Amino acid sequence: MDVSGGDIWIVAVNLIIWTGLFLYLLRLDRRLREMEREP
Amino acid sequence: MKKNLPWLLWLWISAVIVGAFYYAPLAAKFIGKSSRILYFHVPMAWVSFTAFIAAAVWSVLYLMKGRQERHDRAAAVAIQLGLLFGVLAIVTGSLWARIEWRMWWNWDPRQTSLLISLLFYAAYLALRGAVDDPEKRGRLAAAYALLGIVVTPFLFWVMPRITFSLHPQPVVNADGKVEMDPRIFQVLLASTFAFTALFFWMHNLQCRLQALVARKTDEQE
Repeated sequence: MDVSGGDIWIVAVNLIIWTGLFLYLLRLDRRLREMEREP
Repeated sequence: MKKNLPWLLWLWISAVIVGAFYYAPLAAKFIGKSSRILYFHVPMAWVSFTAFIAAAVWSVLYLMKGRQERHDRAAAVAIQLGLLFGVLAIVTGSLWARIEWRMWWNWDPRQTSLLISLLFYAAYLALRGAVDDPEKRGRLAAAYALLGIVVTPFLFWVMPRITFSLHPQPVVNADGKVEMDPRIFQVLLASTFAFTALFFWMHNLQCRLQALVARKTDEQE
């Protein structure tokens, strides 16, 4: 596994984009759960 | 356990991203590193197909099980997400085509059939937007989405196999065999599962959101 090449930046950007989307969805999930509990 | 499932998905897709670059080898006969896009393009096209078929299933449920609003909503959301993943499949495919064919778009049967498929489902959304009565809208939309059971498999699976195409062989080729490096296949399979799970999670969130909006609107009226 060679992590010295230029691919590391592409992997890093992909991981940042994915983590951003994931955190957004997670937050939405929590918010929806709260709102569903509201009478 | 259920609470940890999204984190498992985060880990899974992160592993797919790393695996696509550091575990799977470059595919033979591809220019440079263009084959890396395979791990994102193929699952997106797959999810698009799955979403359209799932929409047809929810439409059947809507028509057969007492016209419940949740089934109509589930079908509409599946089509919205199917369109989103379909557009992403087209974009990633065009990026690859630019490297491999020196053209963003060349009306290859696979590109064209996916485009026709997306236009077919864009018309579904237009149809929904054109009818005000919820009962009538649900019935018409369900009947239209049911047509997709015939249209979608034909456009995704049959058309590209009966016409000459520059597109690389499908994952399962015309002889019904998988002919690729096992590590490429493993990452591709892992990616396909991950994106399918991501689709169902997004679908669940969007359906719940729309149900809440409908409830709040009812309360205000």
